[in-house]
Amino acid sequence: MWILPISMLVVTVLLAIPLSRYMTRIMDGKYRAPGILRWFEDRLNSGPQNWKQYTVSLLTFNTVLFVFGFLVLALQPWMPLNPQHKGMLSPTTIFHTVVSFMTNTDVQHYSGDVHFSNFSQIFFGFTMFFLSASIGFCALTMIIRALRSDSSVGNFFVDMWRVVAYMFLPACLILAILFVQQGSPMTFKSSHEVATLEPSAMGTLDNGQPKPQTIVVGPLAAFVPMKQLGTNGGGFYGMNSAHPFENPTAFTNFLSCVAMMLFPFGLVLMFGRMLNRLKHAWVIFSVMMFFMLGTVVWAIYFDTLKPNPGLTAHPIAQTYQIPDASAPGGKRAVTLPAVAGLPVDQHMGNLEGKELRFGTSAGATFAALTVDVTDGAVNCEHDSLNPIAGLSPYAGMWLNCFFGGKGVGMINMLLFVVIGIFVAGQMVGRTPEYLGKKIGGREMKLAMIALLVHPIMILLPTGLFAGTSWGVKAENNPGAHGFSEILYQFSSSSANNGSAFDGLGVTYGFNNNPSPAPMARQWDIASGLVIVISRFLPIIAPMAMAAFLGAKKSTPFGLGTLRDDTFTFASLLVGTIVIIGALLFLPVAALGPLAEHWGPLPFGG
Amino acid sequence: MSKYISKSVLLLLITVVLVCGLYPAAVWAIGHVFFPFQAEGSLLTGPDGQVVGSKLIAQPFTKDEYFQPRPSAASYDASASASSTLAPSNYALRDRVARMLGPIVRYRSGLKAGQLVAPDIEAWFQEDRYQGQPGIVAQWADLHNGLATAWVNADSTHAAYVDDWVKAHPTVVADWTKANPTTPQPKAADLAVVFFETFSKENPGRFPSAVNKTSADGKPQTAIEPVKDGSDIQSIFFDMWRQDHPDADLQDVPGDMVTTSGAGLDPHITLQNAEYQLDRVAAKWAADTKRDPSVVRSEVDQILQANARAPFGGLAGEELVNVLEVNLELRNRYGAPN
Repeated sequence: MWILPISMLVVTVLLAIPLSRYMTRIMDGKYRAPGILRWFEDRLNSGPQNWKQYTVSLLTFNTVLFVFGFLVLALQPWMPLNPQHKGMLSPTTIFHTVVSFMTNTDVQHYSGDVHFSNFSQIFFGFTMFFLSASIGFCALTMIIRALRSDSSVGNFFVDMWRVVAYMFLPACLILAILFVQQGSPMTFKSSHEVATLEPSAMGTLDNGQPKPQTIVVGPLAAFVPMKQLGTNGGGFYGMNSAHPFENPTAFTNFLSCVAMMLFPFGLVLMFGRMLNRLKHAWVIFSVMMFFMLGTVVWAIYFDTLKPNPGLTAHPIAQTYQIPDASAPGGKRAVTLPAVAGLPVDQHMGNLEGKELRFGTSAGATFAALTVDVTDGAVNCEHDSLNPIAGLSPYAGMWLNCFFGGKGVGMINMLLFVVIGIFVAGQMVGRTPEYLGKKIGGREMKLAMIALLVHPIMILLPTGLFAGTSWGVKAENNPGAHGFSEILYQFSSSSANNGSAFDGLGVTYGFNNNPSPAPMARQWDIASGLVIVISRFLPIIAPMAMAAFLGAKKSTPFGLGTLRDDTFTFASLLVGTIVIIGALLFLPVAALGPLAEHWGPLPFGG
Repeated sequence: MSKYISKSVLLLLITVVLVCGLYPAAVWAIGHVFFPFQAEGSLLTGPDGQVVGSKLIAQPFTKDEYFQPRPSAASYDASASASSTLAPSNYALRDRVARMLGPIVRYRSGLKAGQLVAPDIEAWFQEDRYQGQPGIVAQWADLHNGLATAWVNADSTHAAYVDDWVKAHPTVVADWTKANPTTPQPKAADLAVVFFETFSKENPGRFPSAVNKTSADGKPQTAIEPVKDGSDIQSIFFDMWRQDHPDADLQDVPGDMVTTSGAGLDPHITLQNAEYQLDRVAAKWAADTKRDPSVVRSEVDQILQANARAPFGGLAGEELVNVLEVNLELRNRYGAPN
């Protein structure tokens, strides 16, 4: 039960330590690549940049990437590797998919196996996987260079090239070979038609012949490693890493988990190494690990060690007071009778939506890890998780700094660090300092902008959709869980995560689809806008904040300086995160997962 | 600015060539040289040399001679993976599981230990009392409007049956339209609940179900008729029977047998689930091959034990068997089922 998550975490930490040393060498330009690769570096180099030029380069490149992605998807019907003649997706879905992949979010309002040709999977998927992951990586690198007051913050294009070519590509190649050995297909064919062992078990065709099983295949072994290493999480198939080709064995599931955590772990240590404050980085690392362990333990305890409460007995009758204008006192009591359990052996926990081959606790573990590092791949159906276990993915997305995504998670944590130091400074009446730089009003404003975008972008649209038919018509589960589905979609969009409660009706499908989900267009546009705003503001504002901090004069370390490498500092950070998180998100948690857990079960129907 | 655009385009182009061209080509070459079986999708060959499926993808089995995979929310369609997306709180989940359980659950202890509960469900249903009140079917439709509507929509013959009922009951329908002025011209599905309420009064202890008949010209056909037993009664009303008999001691069914998997294509079942199905499978093969049932049973059990594998050698999970591999072995050993 616990061996699986613990071994995943230990292996990743052991790999991340040497990796972070290598990453530091590369980003500091000390690594000498083979001649041909250096030649590309020189072609891409546009000279040393300041923070504004770096930011403009980042935004320019994202614009180019958007145009490219949109073209690839819009031209799908006319491109090769499309033997089934898949058509064009709805324009709103293309918009949503492109911003979603470009920003490392990978919320999917389509199913890869149904709607994408292999051409789109390769030219859209691979490109976005590698580049979107590198963008967050580079943003963090720029922030580190600004914080240590470098004369230039580097060159965006050179940084991008180094991350893609010297880090991601070699790591992917190794993983890809392991994945194909384990059973992930690696072919450019798109499907096999097989006659099932029991003829006609799939039914019969119109001409009376047994119906074959159509098995969609593709270049999976190359696709999955970067999906995980880059914390992208966009599935080749609709059901993502739960699909037996995308995740064929317990070993590939283990690799998938290690791969998604590897770079987020390494980046925290790289932060320490580049700033020469490794001890401080380890303190931050421990705080992140503390929260990550919390989400994993929570998910396993409530999902793997507890049965699915929809099938068990609830032996005590429950009475609820329901508001009713016509009843005396404005309230009416509704009593639900005791419920007898169904005879199902649930010693393996809640198995609805789980695969068996990964190990008993693997579904809950993956669910917690994938939101902590904002990967967003799933190996089980999050919609079917036990209600209270679902709090674990929510917490990961809401706070978004339990390691978090490529670079972005560390940036979010920096915001909490700055705010924590500011609050501590206020308490003892000293000017707060971070890394020897005084934190002023301008820096605090930028930190607050970056921090508040996230809750606003979750809570406002959730309220809008939950209160109108836009959301209500998309729900596929009754009661509090329907609200949870809406909340999850916007949490996942804003956190740039990508996992989903898949029941929500958000799929428009092909542009000529006669019966799309009724509210799919509204969801495409709203979720797409949330993704864009919640991606770029929380990257740009901290970049500016770091640049302003870095430009200040360093104050010498004194007796009154708050030490940032102690247990006290870690506790301060934990407290800041818990208080801010609870203030922002406890009310919606009460309306969604908590209400479902303590409310009547089963419900509706 | 134009410099940044040209550098952006250059970066994009180089990356596309590298990661969409060279990288997948390299993996493809390595895959096809060293692991051609896996690279093409782990396809297995059947007794006549034809491909029968992928080792990694579940396919349906309906015959009793074969072990059955986990139920699939995707109907085993390997071109559109899907999960049920049912929340634990959603009654639809409990209903789906209860319908699977009704026909197979057995008593664990007492006088009837080892016997099916299905006959008792039918007997209880024919008495037509739930929680002390008459009219099981009417109460079922009142408690679960969604299920009643779903029954009407499930099949065109169901809707036709309700349409016939509408013609025969003009006053009931008129009363309903008066009470629901927003739906002046109700369709069959709108009337599902009132249909079942009337049906229950007119046919106590009966439920409309498909019956196989022979028509006047000798052709087999199915028709909807009020029935008092059969699989519909056993499955649909198992949960209500259970609520009336909360103390009945029943054998637990393996969890993976009644839950759908994440992608709907899980190729495995637990060994526990396979052993639960063992008696049925072995008895059927023994009948097909006219051999001693106990010998066949031990042979099939040996196949199961030989195929059982646990993730990470048992460190992280329980023993599983691959359904297609086991069934293929049965097919190769015993020939085609009757």
